[in-house]
Amino acid sequence: MRNWRWGLIGIVFLAFVIRTEAWKFSKAQHEHTERISGSAGDVLEDDPVGRLKVFVYELPSKYNKKILQKDPRCLTHMFAAEIYMHRFLLSSPVRTLNPEEADWFYTPVYTTCDLTPNGLPLPFKSPRMMRSAIQLISSNWPYWNRTEGADHFFIVPHDFGACFHYQEEKAIERGILPLLQRATLVQTFGQRNHVCLKDGSITIPPYAPPQKMQAHLIPPNTPRSIFVYFRGLFYDVGNDPEGGYYARGARASVWENFKDNPLFDISTEHPTTYYEDMQRAIFCLCPLGWAPWSPRLVEAVIFGCIPVIIADDIVLPFADAIPWEEIGVFVAEKDVPKLDTILTSIPTEVILRKQRLLANPSMKQAMLFPQPAQSRDAFHQILNGLARKLPHDRSTFLKPGEKILNWTAGPVGDLKPW
Amino acid sequence: MGSVERSRKKVQLWKKAIVHFMLCFVMGFFTGFAPTGKSSIFSSRVSVSNRSDFSPQPLEVLQYQSKFQSYNRSLLDGSPAAVPEATSKSDRDAYDDHHPPKISKEEENEGDLIPRKLVIIVTPTSMKDTRRGVLLRRLANTLRLVPQPLLWVVVEQQSDSDEASEILRKTGIMYRHLVFKENFTDMRAEMDHQINVALSHIEHHRLSGIVHFAGLSNVYDLSFFDEIRAIEAFGTWPMAFLSANRKKVNIEGPVCESSEVMGWHLKNSSNLSTDTMKPAIHVSGFAFNSSVLWDPERWGRTSSAQDTSQDSLKFVKKEVLEEETQLKGIPSDDCSKVLLWNLDISHSSVKKMVTDKR
Amino acid sequence: MKLTALQQQSRRSNSFRGSSPLDSSMDGAIKSPVTIFWLVLHGLCCLISLVLGFRFSRLVFFLLFSNTSNTMTSTNLYSTSSFGNPSEPLAFQSTLGAVTSTSTSLPAMNFTTTAASGTSSSRVVVGRHGILIRPWPHPNPAEVMMAHRLIERVQREQRMQYGVKNPRAVIAITPTYVRTFQTLHLTGVMHSLMNVPYDLVWIVVEAGAVTNETASLLAKSGLTTIHVEYGKKMPILWEDRHKLEAKMRLHALRLVREKKLDGIVIFADDSNMHSMELFDEIQNVNQFGAVSVGILAHSGGDGEDETAVAQKEEEKNSGLPVQGPACNSSNHLVGWQTFNSATFMERSARYVGDRAIVLPRKMEWAGFVLNSRLVWRDAEDKPEWVRDLDEVAADEEDVESPLSFVKDASVVEPLGSCGRKVMIWWLRVEARADSKFPAGWVINPPLDVTVPAKRTPWPDAPPELPLPAGEKAVVLQEIAEKHATKTRSPRKRRSKRKHAIRTIDERVSTRHAGEN
Repeated sequence: MRNWRWGLIGIVFLAFVIRTEAWKFSKAQHEHTERISGSAGDVLEDDPVGRLKVFVYELPSKYNKKILQKDPRCLTHMFAAEIYMHRFLLSSPVRTLNPEEADWFYTPVYTTCDLTPNGLPLPFKSPRMMRSAIQLISSNWPYWNRTEGADHFFIVPHDFGACFHYQEEKAIERGILPLLQRATLVQTFGQRNHVCLKDGSITIPPYAPPQKMQAHLIPPNTPRSIFVYFRGLFYDVGNDPEGGYYARGARASVWENFKDNPLFDISTEHPTTYYEDMQRAIFCLCPLGWAPWSPRLVEAVIFGCIPVIIADDIVLPFADAIPWEEIGVFVAEKDVPKLDTILTSIPTEVILRKQRLLANPSMKQAMLFPQPAQSRDAFHQILNGLARKLPHDRSTFLKPGEKILNWTAGPVGDLKPW
Repeated sequence: MGSVERSRKKVQLWKKAIVHFMLCFVMGFFTGFAPTGKSSIFSSRVSVSNRSDFSPQPLEVLQYQSKFQSYNRSLLDGSPAAVPEATSKSDRDAYDDHHPPKISKEEENEGDLIPRKLVIIVTPTSMKDTRRGVLLRRLANTLRLVPQPLLWVVVEQQSDSDEASEILRKTGIMYRHLVFKENFTDMRAEMDHQINVALSHIEHHRLSGIVHFAGLSNVYDLSFFDEIRAIEAFGTWPMAFLSANRKKVNIEGPVCESSEVMGWHLKNSSNLSTDTMKPAIHVSGFAFNSSVLWDPERWGRTSSAQDTSQDSLKFVKKEVLEEETQLKGIPSDDCSKVLLWNLDISHSSVKKMVTDKR
Repeated sequence: MKLTALQQQSRRSNSFRGSSPLDSSMDGAIKSPVTIFWLVLHGLCCLISLVLGFRFSRLVFFLLFSNTSNTMTSTNLYSTSSFGNPSEPLAFQSTLGAVTSTSTSLPAMNFTTTAASGTSSSRVVVGRHGILIRPWPHPNPAEVMMAHRLIERVQREQRMQYGVKNPRAVIAITPTYVRTFQTLHLTGVMHSLMNVPYDLVWIVVEAGAVTNETASLLAKSGLTTIHVEYGKKMPILWEDRHKLEAKMRLHALRLVREKKLDGIVIFADDSNMHSMELFDEIQNVNQFGAVSVGILAHSGGDGEDETAVAQKEEEKNSGLPVQGPACNSSNHLVGWQTFNSATFMERSARYVGDRAIVLPRKMEWAGFVLNSRLVWRDAEDKPEWVRDLDEVAADEEDVESPLSFVKDASVVEPLGSCGRKVMIWWLRVEARADSKFPAGWVINPPLDVTVPAKRTPWPDAPPELPLPAGEKAVVLQEIAEKHATKTRSPRKRRSKRKHAIRTIDERVSTRHAGEN
């Protein structure tokens, strides 16, 4: 047991060394051009059309359109990707109407559109809804039972993805919905070694309104005069009166250590010039909140502000296509008190390079879900990610009579009909 | 007999030794449980983070602690303290992996890094003044030339207009644009409120620097900003008030011998505030160390003076006049050079002048 | 608090080292090498046991910690989490029972993040975390400076990438003379020019003579300045004044011609105010451009009516009155927007110090920029629509604006989104002509000396006021109050500044930035 673990550590370490070497090599080759080095750059430019075919299940509108009608606020919140992705796929050239030739199957369920009166998406009903949808497709079409969902993908953009709970502890307790254990999940949540992040999931950026951001663009020659910028909560007093739970204490630490630093333009007040201010900042803090990701990641990239990612083991959106290491700065949560030292000791050339990379339009494009879709946008990146998983592994398809999923697993409450 | 005595003595000696050892062991044992807390969380982390071994190194910790202590002491002295080099190299810091030669580069540029005191310029502005756009630009042009670090705090009433933010954004100066919701009819009350908004921002953030209120109608000689950086607690200087089509130039301000303020020069006696018989100093006529706001104990007084009123401006003004011993005349030789001119050409001011007369 | 505790701790261990040999020396009175050896050995052993105890306690601690953490409260964990970070995740994990943790062995704890990929359970630390606050309270000033240098570098890079490519030099022409308002006005313009990120030559033409007063001001700018004099005193009537200023500007243009200065000529009056965007915008000019000028009409008097009228004018135009090129919707120059001076005609100021509105000329010089090659004697590609400088200067009296240089006003290039954007402001405000100010603005004698109302210790400013009949201005006798704790005898009056009238001589002074 012990030996096995040591061996594993060794392998991980070796893999890391090889990877960094590869990075160095690719860097050396592409240093002069400010294109994204390595494989990543080209991946962003990929056109998914012709590389995969997606079949979109026709579901009764109570699974999607009716919910949206009930509460159109879901069109603007951070999880709106599930709605826009559905709309996009319906008119996308990768869509096929013939399920026999499909590589991927998509089930359009809006699981996070069930908002509380305050507009908070609390996914209490989501598991039952998802279960009901899967039951429906598995009884009406033969494709689910063929693979038990291994060639199906689902958009689950909620805080903890398919764990379907807004509290991390509860979400971890629940784990990913048993019925989705074989499916590919497309989610905003990304935390390495977390029960709610399944291997092979596609991490996507949260939805940020593209038109609104576009409207606030200011000329790129506006001098960047803020060193570090952050607007948002430091303490979530309502949900975490003691402090130390929210953002694992990292945000509180940012405030306590840097409120008195003139270089840190940090506040809880959200100014009307928020987007403009980001465009005149050099570093934008993207600390974790209750979940590791935040819309600031998207905003920072769009506005050319170097994201300072403070979220240990975060899995970033399209990490296989966007060179986050190159454009962002990663600061461990325990190093927050040294943030000023860390940021000021980055060589100027490195910062300028990060800024040049951030200026790359394909990077910005990949963060957005524009209406109508544009080439290389986040929709296309999702498709690219799905295409890269093709052809399906042999283990995708079950042997006749084989059953893996346990339909009665999970909390009793989830088994009730929706 | 002797041998028995001796052996007994020996046994006793051994016993004593063992007791000592035990004592020491227990002592060490309990030292292991010794104090913990926020600060030591961090410090012990730093000191051990380079080691894969988890065993603590008390000596290292202690050294580190004493280092911090000296920092604290130097901070109490008011002199800027150096932060220790980060001893731990985080393997998560992206740039660390890819750009190892950063230290040498830093050293190269070390030469031109002369730390200066932060200057905090507070400028109240109002939409009601049609000329504030141009005056804001003029002041920005001046502030842009001041050596860093400088923080410009611009306060205005919340509005839909983004005129001010647009002007400020293009200046390239590090600024904070504060807005407030309250509505004022009286210009003077509004300005006082604006200044108080800025002061509470400084207090809330515990910003440390020299605060000066720069009205839009001021014009500065650049050396002014070097001079106010030398202020320890409070500073004051003569100010020239120009007015259109007048013959007389009014100079108001302190009268000094070397940098010591001997008295005041005012254009007329009505400027004496009646209750204190102290001169009413112009709001742009002084600067002060911001720690007066958030660390009154450091200046040898209780915080009660501040608690009694929300009016930080009043508080500061009072302090300036009461603490003549801590008041530094500027420029430091004998504060006889005018470095700051005021010409009020804003419409609102003209209006105010008119209404005041009645 | 913690610091002192640790200090005490160290002191304690120090006292141990010292006291244990002392103790043992009590019973062994005989000093022999053997006893000393034993004493040393004893002390050493004591020390070793101390260290052993310490180590042991840590070990016990860890064992205790990993086994009984289930019973511990989270606050306990918080306060004891200082013992190395590796233990922290594990402790939290097991306390809160987030998931079953499979690794309890100590070496594995160091690798919680890397080694976990094999297990399906979560390694994520859920629960209370410490809020890390560093012991030093203030930012490191050296780092602040470093950050500012970085910001500066970033801004330079932005200019390089998005700014004007191959910028031309800027030649600024400023007529001036020594007076009460000179420092205030000229300092403002100087600061604008100092911010210009391009090569810049500043030609300052001083009426009367080159003075130290002006020269010392210019010296502060660190700019490349050409400071010349124009041998006529500044007249007191506004009408004459505008004419003289025009001549002074033409004189500067002659210098541009003689020295073959290459660049874009702007006319910056010493009382103008500039937006920095102007200097980027004028880089777009090809030959002869015009920009809009915001007019800050200021009466300076305290009469309400002037203010009200000016205000009305401003409100009508929704903002400040503007003078400059007027364009149609397709961005072609169709005419000129002028300051509507008709309403103020009867209230316009005639002389300096007149309490009325100083009106701008029909077209102010400040609203024009031109390619310096237009005034060169023999430039190759000189367009045929331009009149030669000599020709223009021949009838100096009639030169109202740079428009005299062009035969056809349609060639003027309107700048600043076709005149819609105001980037330069015009203001004329002066003290009364007989106003005096301390030389170099050094108050001498010091202020605590009572200044008699009729006598001023300050030297006279150049021009004398020929008071026209019906003078409205009232000399206000403002008595300066003395609030000194100590009286001093008045010092001797400063010797009058010399007014050496020299023939036109140029002083070309080139100073480099960094002086200021």
